[in-house]
Amino acid sequence: MKSLPKFTLALGLLALAAFAIAACTPQEVQVVQTAIVEVEREVQVTVVVEPTSVPPQQGGTIITSSFADPTIFNPILWNDSPSATVSGLLFLSLVDQEPFTGELVGEIASGWEVSEDGLTYTFTLRDDIEWSDGTPLTANDFKFSYDAIASELVETARKSNIELVDNIELIDDHTVAVTFSEVDCTALGNFTLGMMPSHMYAADFTDIMDSPENTAPSVVSGQFAFQEWVPDDHVTLVRNDNFVDGAPNADGWIYRIFADESAELAALLAGETDVTGVGAQFVSTIEGRIASGDPLDIFKFFDDGYNWIAMNQANPDNPQNGFEDLNEDGAYTEGEPLLPQDPHPILGDPAVRQAISHAVDVQGIVNKVAFGQGAQIPSNVLPAIGWAFDNTLQPYEYDLEKAEAILEEAGWVKGSDGVRRKDGQRLALTLETNAGNETRENIIVLVQDTLNGIGFDITAQAVDFSSMIGELLGQTFDMILLGWTGKGSDPDDVGLWEYRFDTVGSGFNFTSYYNEEMEAIGQAAKTLPGCDPSERAEMYADTQRMLHDDAPYVFLYNPLANVIWNTRVEGIDPGPWRLWYDVQDWTISP
Amino acid sequence: MVGGVLPPTETSNPTWTVEFADVRTYVARRLLQAIPTLLGVTIFSFALTRLAPGDPVQLMTFDPKMTVKSREILRHQLCLDRTTVEQYFIWLLGSQECNTRGLIRGDFGDSLYDKRPALDMILERVPATLELTGTALLIGILIGLGIGIYSAAKHGTLFDSLSRIFAVIGQAIPTFWLGLIMILVFAVILRWLPVGGRYTLSIEGTKNFFDHLKHLMMPAFVLALFWIAILSRYMRTEMLEVIRQDYMRAARAKGVPKRKVYFRHGARNALIPFITILGPAIAGLLSGAVIVERIFSWPGMGRLAIDAVFQRDFPLVMATVMIGAVLVIGGNLLSDILYGAVDPRIRLN
Repeated sequence: MKSLPKFTLALGLLALAAFAIAACTPQEVQVVQTAIVEVEREVQVTVVVEPTSVPPQQGGTIITSSFADPTIFNPILWNDSPSATVSGLLFLSLVDQEPFTGELVGEIASGWEVSEDGLTYTFTLRDDIEWSDGTPLTANDFKFSYDAIASELVETARKSNIELVDNIELIDDHTVAVTFSEVDCTALGNFTLGMMPSHMYAADFTDIMDSPENTAPSVVSGQFAFQEWVPDDHVTLVRNDNFVDGAPNADGWIYRIFADESAELAALLAGETDVTGVGAQFVSTIEGRIASGDPLDIFKFFDDGYNWIAMNQANPDNPQNGFEDLNEDGAYTEGEPLLPQDPHPILGDPAVRQAISHAVDVQGIVNKVAFGQGAQIPSNVLPAIGWAFDNTLQPYEYDLEKAEAILEEAGWVKGSDGVRRKDGQRLALTLETNAGNETRENIIVLVQDTLNGIGFDITAQAVDFSSMIGELLGQTFDMILLGWTGKGSDPDDVGLWEYRFDTVGSGFNFTSYYNEEMEAIGQAAKTLPGCDPSERAEMYADTQRMLHDDAPYVFLYNPLANVIWNTRVEGIDPGPWRLWYDVQDWTISP
Repeated sequence: MVGGVLPPTETSNPTWTVEFADVRTYVARRLLQAIPTLLGVTIFSFALTRLAPGDPVQLMTFDPKMTVKSREILRHQLCLDRTTVEQYFIWLLGSQECNTRGLIRGDFGDSLYDKRPALDMILERVPATLELTGTALLIGILIGLGIGIYSAAKHGTLFDSLSRIFAVIGQAIPTFWLGLIMILVFAVILRWLPVGGRYTLSIEGTKNFFDHLKHLMMPAFVLALFWIAILSRYMRTEMLEVIRQDYMRAARAKGVPKRKVYFRHGARNALIPFITILGPAIAGLLSGAVIVERIFSWPGMGRLAIDAVFQRDFPLVMATVMIGAVLVIGGNLLSDILYGAVDPRIRLN
C-alpha cells in the first residue's frame, strides 16, 4: 500500500505545524495590579545647567507612527486625530494646552483680556511670527480662519466652534476682539484650531474646499513644513527654517502609517520608528524590553477620556425628544419646555441602574481586559482636571450582595428560571458595543456574566460602529458600552445631561437623563461670571455627586495611555496633554 | 498572457483572421451587454449603501460639543438631506449645487472625509496594489503551474506527496499569521528585511530598485504562497486527467520527446479549467490583498475600500464598487476570449 507512508508523512508534518503554531501563542501576560487614581503632579525642578558652547546635534529625521491615515491638512477642515497631529505641527493656533496641566495658554496670542461682562475677549498676538514664505502672521489670519468656518461655502464639522461667537473685530494687525453671545467659561477652547494663511486663499472663501493647500500646504507657521503625503503610507515634513522659536534641530519628521497595531509595534522594536504609542496589551512587552536593555523609554499618562456604559432611561421602543418641540423645527428652541419621557421598563428605575453600577467589577475589568492600564472613576470629571475633580467621592463599590439587596428592595424578585421579574417585566436587557474593539468586546462579556449571575438576562452584542452610533443617537438601545476621548481640560459637559440636548437622532443626552437641580448647577458653573476655578470647583463637586447617584452611566475607567520612544531621540519631554510641543528642541543621535 | 507562452498550433494559423473578426464582434456585443449590467449594479449597490444602518454625518460629528444645528448644516451641504432617489440621480447625472458632475461624466463625487475626488483616491493606490498582487500572481502561476505539471508527471513519487502536503498547508495557513511570523523573524529578530511599507522613508525621498525589492519580497511571497498552493493542486489534477488520454499515448508512441508531450499536448489541454479561475483572479487583483496589505503596511486599495465601508463614505464606496464591477466583467470576458485562444475547438458566439 503506497498511501500509508504518505498518510503518515502528512500526519507528521501536520503535527509539526501544530507544534509550531502552539509555540507561537502569546505568553501569559502579567497583569499589573496597580491602580493609582491620583494624578502624578509635575514638580517644578530648577536645574542649573552649565553654559555650554557645544550646539545641539543637528540633522536626522524623527519617525513616528500611527495606525490611521490622515485625511486633510487644512486646520479648520480636519476631523480625525492623525490629521490633527500633522496639522498641529504645520499650523500654530491662537491658544493651546499647556503640556503638563492642560490649561489653555497663548500660542500665537501673547495675552488676552476679558471684558467685565465676560462677553468680549481681546487678544494680543505675538508680532514676531512669520509664515514660512516670509509674510507676517496677523490678526487678519485669525479672523479669516474663523469667518471661514462660519461661511456657508465651507463644509466642516467645526461649526460649533463659532456658534457662540457674535463678532470678530480687528483692532489692529496684532489685536483682535471676539464677542460672544453668552458668557461661556469654555469659550477659549474654541480657539485651539490652527490658523490658515489668509493670503493663500480667496478672500470670499470660494476656494477653501478645493484648494491644493488642503492636501499639500505650501505655507505654514509651525515647526515643520509639508513635503509629501503618500496616502496610507506616510507623510513627510521638513524643518521650517522660519519657525518663530528657532528652526528644529531635526531635518525632518515622518509620520508612518501602519494598518496593523502589531506591525506598528514590530517597526518600533526593529528600530524603524522613533516615537509611538501602543495599546494596553503591548505595554508589558515594551516594559520587558526596556528592562532587558533595549534602547527604549516609556511615559505613561492618564488619557483625557473615560469608558462608560450608557443606560437608556427612556423607552427604546418610543424614542422621544426631551423637549416639547412647539415650533416643530426638529431641534430645541429657547424656551421650549421639558417633555416627560415614556420611561424605560427596566432602566427607568434608578434602583436597577444603581444595582448594575454595584455589580460591575471595574477594577477586575481593568486588570483582566485593559492589562492594568486604567483606573476606576467615580463620576464624569477626570482626576487629571485636578482643580475640579472631587477626590472625596468614591466609585461604586463592587458588591454583588448589595446589588441583589437593592434589586430585592425595589421589587425585582427571582422567578423559576433564575431571572428577576417585577409586575411581569423580566429583567432582560441588551448590552452592545462596537465590533472589532477587542477590549470592549471582552468587557461586555464580563459584565454579562456577572449580571446574569444576580438575576439579569443580558444579551451581549458586538455590532458595526456606524450602526451602533445610529442606535445610540436614535435612542433605541438598552445599554451601550463606549468611551469619550479628547474631553479637554475643562470639566464642562452639559451637552450630555440637559433635556434640551435630548434630541432623537442627534443629541448627546441619549440616555434621556433629567435632573433639574443638576442642570441648573451645570449651567451656572459654565456661565459663571469671571469663571473663578474655586467657585466652579464647588459646583462641579455637586454635579459629580448627583451624576454618581443618579447613574445615567456606569462610569468605568480612565485609560492609561503611553508614549514610547527610542533613546536615540533626546530632549523629548512628553506631557499628558501634549507630545510635540517642543519637538524643535529634540535631537537625534546618529 | 498564458496563451503567449504556448506557440499557436499550425492548424489554427490559417483561420486566425476570420477568428479575429469573430472575436471583435463578440467583444463588442459583450461590452454592450455590460451597460445594463453596470446600471443594475449602480441601482442595487446605491440602494444598499443608503438602506444599511449608519449615517456618515452622525459619524463625522460624533462629538458632544457638536450642536444639532451645526450637524444639519453639514448634512445639507453634503446633500445628504435629500431622498435616496434624488441622491442617486445627483450621483449619476451630476448637480451644480452638490458640486459633482455625475458618474456619466466620469465624476464619482468627492470623499466625504477627505474632500477629494474618490476616483483620484483610488487611482493613486492602484499602482501599489497591482504591483503586489501582480507579482504574487505571476510567481503563483509560474511556480504553481510548474509544480502541478511536474508532480502529475511524477505521480506517486516523494515530490508529488510533498507538493500535495505543501498545497494543503499553503492554503490552510492564515495569511495574517504567516505575515506576522515572517515580520518577527526576518524584520525584528534578524533585521534582514523591513517591517513594511513600499520603500525606506527619508526626507530626501530617494528610491532605489533594490530597496524596493526588499520591501516587496515578504508580502509578495505570503500572497504568492496562496496562489502556488491553489494552482499547483488544480494543475496537478487536470494534468493527471489529460495524461491518461489516448492522444498523449499516441504522441509518445510516435516518438515525441517526453517534455514536448507534456508541455505542448498535455499542459495546453489542462489549461482550460485553469483559465476559468484566472478571470476572477484578475478581478481580484485589486481586492485580493486586503490582509497582506494591512500586515505589511502596503499602501494599496484594500484598506481604502474597507475603511470607506466602515465610515459610510458613500461616494468612495460607490467608486470602489463600480471599479470592482468593471473588473469582474472585464476579467470574465478575458477568460472567455482566452478559452478560444487556448482551445480552438471552443467558438465564441
